[in-house]
Amino acid sequence: MSALGLTPPVLMVSGIIFLCTALTYAEGATMLPEAGGSGAFAFRAFNPWVSFVASWVLMLDYIVTMSISAFTAVSYLGYYIPVLKDWPMNSLGGIAVVGFLVFINIRGVQTSSRFNIVLVFIDVITQISIAVLGVLLIINLPQLVHNIHWGVAPTMNQLLFGISISMIAYTGIETVSNLGSEARHPEKSIPWAVILVFLMVITLWTLLSMTALSAYPVYQNAEGHWVTDLTQRFLHDPILGIVNVMPLSIRPILSFCVVFLAFTILVIATNAGMLGASRLAYFMGQREQLPGVISKVSSRARVPANAIIIFSIIASGLIATGRITLLADLYAFGAVLAYTTAHASIIALRVKEPNLPRPFKIPFNIRIRNREIPVTAIIGGLATFVTWFIVVYTHAIGRIVGFAWLGIGLLIYYAYKRRKRRLAAQR
Amino acid sequence: MFKKILVPVVGSEADIETVKLACRLAKKDKGKVWAVSVVAIKRALPLDAEIDSEIKKAEEILDKVESVAEEEDYEVETDVLQARDVGPAIVDEAVERGVSLILMGIKYKRSFGQFSMGNVVPYVLKNSPCPVILYQQ
Repeated sequence: MSALGLTPPVLMVSGIIFLCTALTYAEGATMLPEAGGSGAFAFRAFNPWVSFVASWVLMLDYIVTMSISAFTAVSYLGYYIPVLKDWPMNSLGGIAVVGFLVFINIRGVQTSSRFNIVLVFIDVITQISIAVLGVLLIINLPQLVHNIHWGVAPTMNQLLFGISISMIAYTGIETVSNLGSEARHPEKSIPWAVILVFLMVITLWTLLSMTALSAYPVYQNAEGHWVTDLTQRFLHDPILGIVNVMPLSIRPILSFCVVFLAFTILVIATNAGMLGASRLAYFMGQREQLPGVISKVSSRARVPANAIIIFSIIASGLIATGRITLLADLYAFGAVLAYTTAHASIIALRVKEPNLPRPFKIPFNIRIRNREIPVTAIIGGLATFVTWFIVVYTHAIGRIVGFAWLGIGLLIYYAYKRRKRRLAAQR
Repeated sequence: MFKKILVPVVGSEADIETVKLACRLAKKDKGKVWAVSVVAIKRALPLDAEIDSEIKKAEEILDKVESVAEEEDYEVETDVLQARDVGPAIVDEAVERGVSLILMGIKYKRSFGQFSMGNVVPYVLKNSPCPVILYQQ
């Protein structure tokens, strides 16, 4: 949306930043195979406060993942049920999805891993098919060059923000890290998982964005703004926008596949966000970063029921706004800060604990004071920090809500720590 | 013939007879018996989460198993496992320990009017690396 004609190269640039981040997570997750992701790395590398900040912004990301996924899942259904395309029905539908998943997770209905794998497999095949059809039938290189208006569309601000927001395409790296402790051979499977995610996302999304920009060229609208019809008409269901320009004969079947799969996969993604928030709440509770009333495991449900309910209510509040751009801003705010912390933690651990067993060690290191410092972590750390700064600088609402979330979290943490200290002193 | 026997237990009445049988079978070859109780951890928690109530329950089941083995004048080794799914946890344990037999007790259960063995037993029967004996109460 922001990068306009430069979207494909922007995705590649963010892909390179992501590759650096992926290597950092591969080293961190195999070295400290526990739930918590960047929060766990920071706990070991720095102190509980830095760990809290990393975990708390990550919690924001899990909440936003729930909101974006539930909201867009219902928007895709709008293809067949038009009333679900407009606010407030799309928001109400999204909230209903979240409510349903809260019920399922607290009641403890087991989800089938095999069913999820089959759905993801069919989804990837569908996306590859759309990308191949795009290459064969739609991608038009001269049109892609015409879409770029240097310095005007996109402007430098739009371009930089585009890089930051495109990080959302690489969602999933924290999840790979969080589940690292469950892998039988984390030293092999985690690096492979992150490399496969990288290759799959960068290939598919570069091709899909090229297809989209060939079909929906960038133009100046009546108000003088540079736009593309993809974001004007299909902001909530962009893949359907791409299907809409496919040959008429295959459009109905592709539309059906996209609507059905997008809805199902996005509901699974909503659930993944909920489970991620729940696991992170437990991790934070174990490290005394969240009050027990939030993180405690319910004896009946055997899950952190309060955490699931509280964070789902917040996610529902975000869905109720019906503003997908706000959700994207918030996601970028949290994700990029968590990535920066992860890079900093990995570098700090190389200095502080050089002999810690590292089943996967990032290659390409430079020696500083007899310590091996990974170059990709330095590049990734700087790039993600600059990206975070751009998000904060250019997007007022994301900045206000993001910092408000951080401020509230730090207040709760401070009050909780103080209370704990007081209770310990009384004993 | 069966030098290493794995007995997954769940706290049912069938466990008692299964453990007795395992001890008798192992005695002949001076074999070893392992009894395991699997705590299933939901995906909303990390796999290494400590759910005190569940762990306590599993330990109580294993204490009972030990006393049954004592009555048989035999010693069993016990362990609490944590896993996402019970079936794969039992099979993995069998592979890891290189057991020569899995001995499981099952209750007579009906689901939708039909006899049902649930999910765990069919999974173990399908994927076990060694012979499996079922004891139905």
